[in-house]
Amino acid sequence: MSPNQFVGPAGQARLAAAVWAGRGAARASRIAGRGSGGSIQGQVMLALDPGALTKLLTNKRVALVSGTNGKTTTTHFLAAAVRAHLGLETGRLVHNADGANLCRGIASALSEHRGADTAVLETDERVVGQVIAAGQPEVLVLLNLSRDQLDRHHEIAGLARSWRDALRMAGPHGPIVVANTSEPLIVWVAQQARQVVWVDAATNWAQDSIWCPNCGSSLSSGHPDGSIGFGGGWHCAGCGLAQPRGHYVVANGQIMDRQGNAWEPGLSVPGDFNVSNAACALAAAELLGVPPLTALEAMRRVSAPAGRFATTRIGRTSVRLLLAKNPAGWAETLPLAQTATVVLAVDSAAADGRDVSWLWDVDFEQLAGRLVITAGARAQDLAVRLSHAQVQHLCVPALADALAGLVGPVDVIATYTPFQKLRKLGNV
Amino acid sequence: MTQRSFGQHVEVVVVYQSLLGLYGDRGNATVLMNRLSSRGYNPALTMVEPGDRLPDTGDIYLLGGGEDAAQVSAVHALRADGGLHRAVDRGKAVFAVCAGYQIIGNSFMTSDTGQVIEGLGLLDVTTTRGPERAVGEVLSRWNDHHGEQAWITGFENHSGYTRLGTCAQPLATTDVGVGNCADGTEGAVAGTVIGTYLHGPVLARNPAVADHVLELGLGARLSPLIRPEVDELRRQRCAAARERSWSRRRGALLARKGLTSWARSFLAKPPLNPPTQISQTAQRRRPSFPP
Repeated sequence: MSPNQFVGPAGQARLAAAVWAGRGAARASRIAGRGSGGSIQGQVMLALDPGALTKLLTNKRVALVSGTNGKTTTTHFLAAAVRAHLGLETGRLVHNADGANLCRGIASALSEHRGADTAVLETDERVVGQVIAAGQPEVLVLLNLSRDQLDRHHEIAGLARSWRDALRMAGPHGPIVVANTSEPLIVWVAQQARQVVWVDAATNWAQDSIWCPNCGSSLSSGHPDGSIGFGGGWHCAGCGLAQPRGHYVVANGQIMDRQGNAWEPGLSVPGDFNVSNAACALAAAELLGVPPLTALEAMRRVSAPAGRFATTRIGRTSVRLLLAKNPAGWAETLPLAQTATVVLAVDSAAADGRDVSWLWDVDFEQLAGRLVITAGARAQDLAVRLSHAQVQHLCVPALADALAGLVGPVDVIATYTPFQKLRKLGNV
Repeated sequence: MTQRSFGQHVEVVVVYQSLLGLYGDRGNATVLMNRLSSRGYNPALTMVEPGDRLPDTGDIYLLGGGEDAAQVSAVHALRADGGLHRAVDRGKAVFAVCAGYQIIGNSFMTSDTGQVIEGLGLLDVTTTRGPERAVGEVLSRWNDHHGEQAWITGFENHSGYTRLGTCAQPLATTDVGVGNCADGTEGAVAGTVIGTYLHGPVLARNPAVADHVLELGLGARLSPLIRPEVDELRRQRCAAARERSWSRRRGALLARKGLTSWARSFLAKPPLNPPTQISQTAQRRRPSFPP
């Protein structure tokens, strides 16, 4: 069954039954005190009706956001922009705001907003192909792709290949891709799209852009310091793959749109990487018909998407919660942590990646001179890493204990699992 | 003889970090540098990229893990360079992890196309594609070594399965994990050349192995270092590996049990494994803590 077509009465009945059973499972899960139930809801629904995702996406304008880092924030930016454009009719928008971004989380969010005609969906890297096949999205935002959770993703190039295959299979029915030109892997993927809006997002993680994804030659850069992915016109001498000119360009902290207007982002969330995310969201919003000014004003009001960058109190300590999950994420986030004492929480549950070897790819040396409290299930691994970085530290694995007794605002950076625990502790 | 001379220059060479640096294995160099400094040596770190010539002045050469395409580029560049062979001829140490381990063997296979790529032949090992990717914590026992420090802990993530030829000895005997090819061995050794599948990085978690690599490169004995923080990390990782192995076995047993009852009720066939026998097996397999 292809989307955007009539679903017969039998199909509708099966979907209704699946949605009903999913809700029951979610309620049971909540009563049992095992979380919001969103995940089990989607799981039950998809088990009873494997076509549910396609049916739920039928007759909707769909925009997907994927990439290694910045998915949740960018999706919140885009959803805010679309919501502002819809005005009083915000019920027309569905958005998986909590970051449940696998098929089951997406299906669960969609089933709770059956009246919506526009969907802005954060999509896990591994299910991009599935959702493209199921839903014929109109827009696909591809932010970046770097080493992350290699225990289950195995190879970055494999993910990129799966995205390329999905776009090739979708052919003329595929999405318009909003692609970050700073990332050679993303540019290589976007080659398969029927139409691309290029965003020179000026992101600067280069360690996974050493060689050409197309031919394997080493990439060279036009940037004076030789770094790749700095908007410096990277190119491959082997096959000619090169950084395309951006329709949108991030430069000097401003976003230049395709009409040549320069916008001061003025975001509530910190970090240059969020200006890059906003540029991608701006491009996607325009594709969905949202004027740039409306979009940007709405994006400026996004302050703590799914708890990221939230300031709250845990016990008696005022904390700012920062999420970082992989070397590229830590490289962006570590410089934001400015307090004299910093708490770093690391775990290796399935959602964090079970191998924490990546700790040695992060430049913790920059924390020298400050006190770090290491927390989380892998606090000891981090403690050993910090010893080798000559950073003074204390190892306090329990999160609440790690924060107890700290005076003044404290920046906390955590991987996914401890981050969710911190959100609970801080009610954000 | 311990510590030949205070301030002695030692060169640690990281080979192709951009190609073979996917899993934090650069940490092995950090660990070696710090363990040398702590003993009064004067270590120097040399990072070599494809196109640069490998220095002939190095004492220890380190290779890490990487993806297929990078691994193939690396082996071509290293064969053209010949620097690793010269290092081994000089009696210097080569320590290679994962893709690096496969590279220094006789040959390996790419995981996507199954193409056979000739290796450097520094270790008599041959790598082919395995039945399934090996991912998880590994606990192994270092051969010919004794005591608590003989446990080697690390994390494996590889699709290639490696078989040892007659000229290579296994580095360790696996207690938990797949290791070389689920044959109970992990890694390989020949003279001053060591290969292993373990990330972690492995030398941060296993200081005795780190010192062994240093001693191979220096040709000198080193005094021990006291690092309680690392001892605690080792205790935690050994326990985690054993716990993981136990829960996986329990999971497999439960799955078998589930299948058994399903088979009994639906197919009216005798159970594959009577429940009483399963619980006895479970009892027997309850893990003991590492000594």
